[in-house]
Amino acid sequence: MTLETAPASINLTVNGVTYPVVADTSRNLLSVIRTEVGLTGTKEGCDDCECGACMVLLDGQPVNSCSYLAAQAEGKAITTIEGLGDGDALHPLQAKMLEAGGVQCGFCTPGMIMSAHALLERTPDPTEEEIRIGLSGNLCRCTGYAKILQAVGEAAVELR
Amino acid sequence: MAVTDTPRFVRADGPDKVTGSGRYVADLTLTGMLTAKFRYAGVAHARITKIDVTAARAIPGVFAVLTADDVPDLRYSPVVPDRHLFAKDTVRFEGEVVAAVAAINAEVAQQAADAVVFEYDELPIVDDLEAAMTDESPLVHEDWEEYAVTGDTPRDRNVATFSSISKGDVDAGMAAADLVVKQRYVADGCHALPIEPRGVVAQWEGNKVTIWTSTQVPFDARNGVCETLEMPSNRVRIIVPHLGGGFGGKCGFHFEAHIAALAKAAKRPVKIVFSREEEFLAPDRRRESMIIDLETGLMNDGSIVARRGWVAVDNGAYTADSAFFPQLAAMHVAGPYKIPNVHIDSSLVYTNHQPSGSVRAPTAPQGCWACETHTDELASAVNMDPVAFRKMNAIDTGAEGVVGQIYDEIGLQDCIDAATKAAGYGQDLPDDEAIGVAIGWWPSFPGPSGAFVRLDADGAGQIVTGAQECGTGAVMTLRQLAADELGMDPEDFEIIYQDTAVAPYDTGATGSQTLLNNGRAVVAAAEQIAEQLKAHAAEQLEAAVGDIVLANGAAHVAGSPDKSVSINELAEIASGGEMLIGKGSPVPPDYPEIPGMNCVGDQGVAAWAAPQFSCHAVRVRLDRDTGVARVLGIACAHDSGTIINEVAAHGQVEGGVLMGIGQALTEGTVYGEDGRQKNPALLEYKLQTFADAPPITTTFIQTPTTEAGPRGAKGLAEAPNVPTAAAISNALAKILGQPVRQLPMTAERIWETSTAGGNQ
Repeated sequence: MTLETAPASINLTVNGVTYPVVADTSRNLLSVIRTEVGLTGTKEGCDDCECGACMVLLDGQPVNSCSYLAAQAEGKAITTIEGLGDGDALHPLQAKMLEAGGVQCGFCTPGMIMSAHALLERTPDPTEEEIRIGLSGNLCRCTGYAKILQAVGEAAVELR
Repeated sequence: MAVTDTPRFVRADGPDKVTGSGRYVADLTLTGMLTAKFRYAGVAHARITKIDVTAARAIPGVFAVLTADDVPDLRYSPVVPDRHLFAKDTVRFEGEVVAAVAAINAEVAQQAADAVVFEYDELPIVDDLEAAMTDESPLVHEDWEEYAVTGDTPRDRNVATFSSISKGDVDAGMAAADLVVKQRYVADGCHALPIEPRGVVAQWEGNKVTIWTSTQVPFDARNGVCETLEMPSNRVRIIVPHLGGGFGGKCGFHFEAHIAALAKAAKRPVKIVFSREEEFLAPDRRRESMIIDLETGLMNDGSIVARRGWVAVDNGAYTADSAFFPQLAAMHVAGPYKIPNVHIDSSLVYTNHQPSGSVRAPTAPQGCWACETHTDELASAVNMDPVAFRKMNAIDTGAEGVVGQIYDEIGLQDCIDAATKAAGYGQDLPDDEAIGVAIGWWPSFPGPSGAFVRLDADGAGQIVTGAQECGTGAVMTLRQLAADELGMDPEDFEIIYQDTAVAPYDTGATGSQTLLNNGRAVVAAAEQIAEQLKAHAAEQLEAAVGDIVLANGAAHVAGSPDKSVSINELAEIASGGEMLIGKGSPVPPDYPEIPGMNCVGDQGVAAWAAPQFSCHAVRVRLDRDTGVARVLGIACAHDSGTIINEVAAHGQVEGGVLMGIGQALTEGTVYGEDGRQKNPALLEYKLQTFADAPPITTTFIQTPTTEAGPRGAKGLAEAPNVPTAAAISNALAKILGQPVRQLPMTAERIWETSTAGGNQ
């Protein structure tokens, strides 16, 4: 079977800005965000929905953008790591990740922060177990997760 | 005991990383850039009968297709130069690069890579370490005797290098022992697996090439390009943007020359970014599988009197940086113990597996796992508590180790006390839980390293260093050292790093030695500026140079804090004359000399400078019905000398421990009968997740250490990886009544051990 694909005009709303892009209908959201939209903060670690580095929010819900078609995202509010924070001020999740030492190589960090953002939206006062389960789709090879756990807990307090 | 109080550490690269503005190789785009794809062998061992690129080159949008015929015909690799950039005559593992393509986009590049005609006759697969060492085994390298080997190592057929360590008379020691315990331990290979897949971008301007690459060792990568493409070092510039982890997997020279050669042929910039599957299959840095036989003679009082060992280390198809692995493995299976009679034979064995290389503490987690599992078996044989047994036999300050080295002040015994106390060792636990304990050690690696420090006219500082930041925070800590020397704040400095054209040489992020070596370089460079500042201040304040103190962003006269001038003012004054530029390249500390050391095939890793010590005590719960083990908590104690950056140091231990848990329980390469990996994907090769991670506590035993890094710092990044699997093994053995002598200790293997016969 040959997959039928064709270039399509898609309007993607990323971090509140609408980008009219032309992309093949087979393209995943991750590659279109990184190339046509030009925001490279969202990372590709596996292209198989296993590492979470490509996590973005679609209408507030966390989605592995490597496994989501760009065309399906039309009409939805897409939030990437570049959409957090207020001007030069870091979002509390970003600030706490830095202060707690939750960042080492930084490659998993954007996806981790987006997952944490979604978690705290639906669970503002999470238990340790809820944080561990909520972020278990995001692999980190550097930190052992301990300082990320601390950072998310501290950010939750600040955001409440 | 020197303790540096560092309650706060905000990484200089942190804002880039939390905002998504930081650029990694995959994020780079150049005008006119092409995409590269490799054609891999896809077969573990075969004689090449035909490679034809005619059809591939004819595809519209293809700019270059290269094979071994298109690059200099030479073999490379340290110590044992045994490989070419592209497969030539024979392929020896499935991930070997047969051809490389540069095309207008990824789809066309893949189409062209697939269109390369590659025909071959299959050869017998060498995949069993013991069988490979026999005279009957097929050879992985038929021309092994022709290789231009450097250094002194016995070699024979599939044995690429050999080392032994030896002390005393092991036969006499064994004969005098009250009892002898002998066991075999078998460890599978596994992967470094940084979350960032590697990428390379190359661009030529005239006869010079700039290569952006995700390497841990920029100067090694540069030297590899220079060697294989026959270029002088000043025409190859390696730049590493942010690096998304490495864990040794991105050490060495990998694919930079392939992409540079493509870019030259295509007359365009060329980029490659690996898929996760390629990350599993192609790099020559996989953690080596090992077979370890240990035989130990004991007296009834528990003292160890003799140890004999035999070790086979899987080299895979080519020698990456693994020539020293046998000697290092021998040290780890011998262990940090006072054993008067020792003999370990250790071989690096060619197979048709992916090449092995320096993954976070190479050979150590497996060697320590065998040694420490064996140690608990020894304690059991003389009815001693395993911790008491270790306290009795482990080396302490002034003791003689397994190659005759006498150790200066070391904190191993304190590590054992601290970790076992923190874990609550000795408490009553349910039948399905136990606390296992293991000790480990790891050398520091002094070496040459350089840095510049400068203050510009406005007083803003720059550290220009050849050191590489792979995530540990070691390079980020450098500005703390410079700031302390100059009485400034760390935030007053920016760091220019990982660019071989602008900074002096450094070994790179390998061997846990960035702070040890480059830290000394930065301190030396900053000291030069401090002298300049003090001279200017003495003139301004009409005081003697020797009385000037640099603190709080100013120079003042000792005892008269009010009599001061700001460093900003001094920097402006200096900018009109001799500028504030310091260079540091201190002579590295010597490695210890061991009189009468009796090692065959010495690769320089038996005499250890500033050794690091550790003890991990881990509490494990086992579901006996399924064999699933869960780590409930782990207490770690480490002697890494002076801790300069406490937040980063804890991060290293926590990350190393979790990697160790993965290696203990879930991470292992599975090979099929065809010599190909069966689990090159994250669904089949399981990393530890957030939900799996246990609480980790760490105590630092900060022994004063000479011959080490700045302020007595030793290495740290690899040490936490060493004793974790071993401690888990000993906890499982307590629950099961016998150890699982295969690594990883998967649920299936645990269950088999707990049922009839197990792996006995």
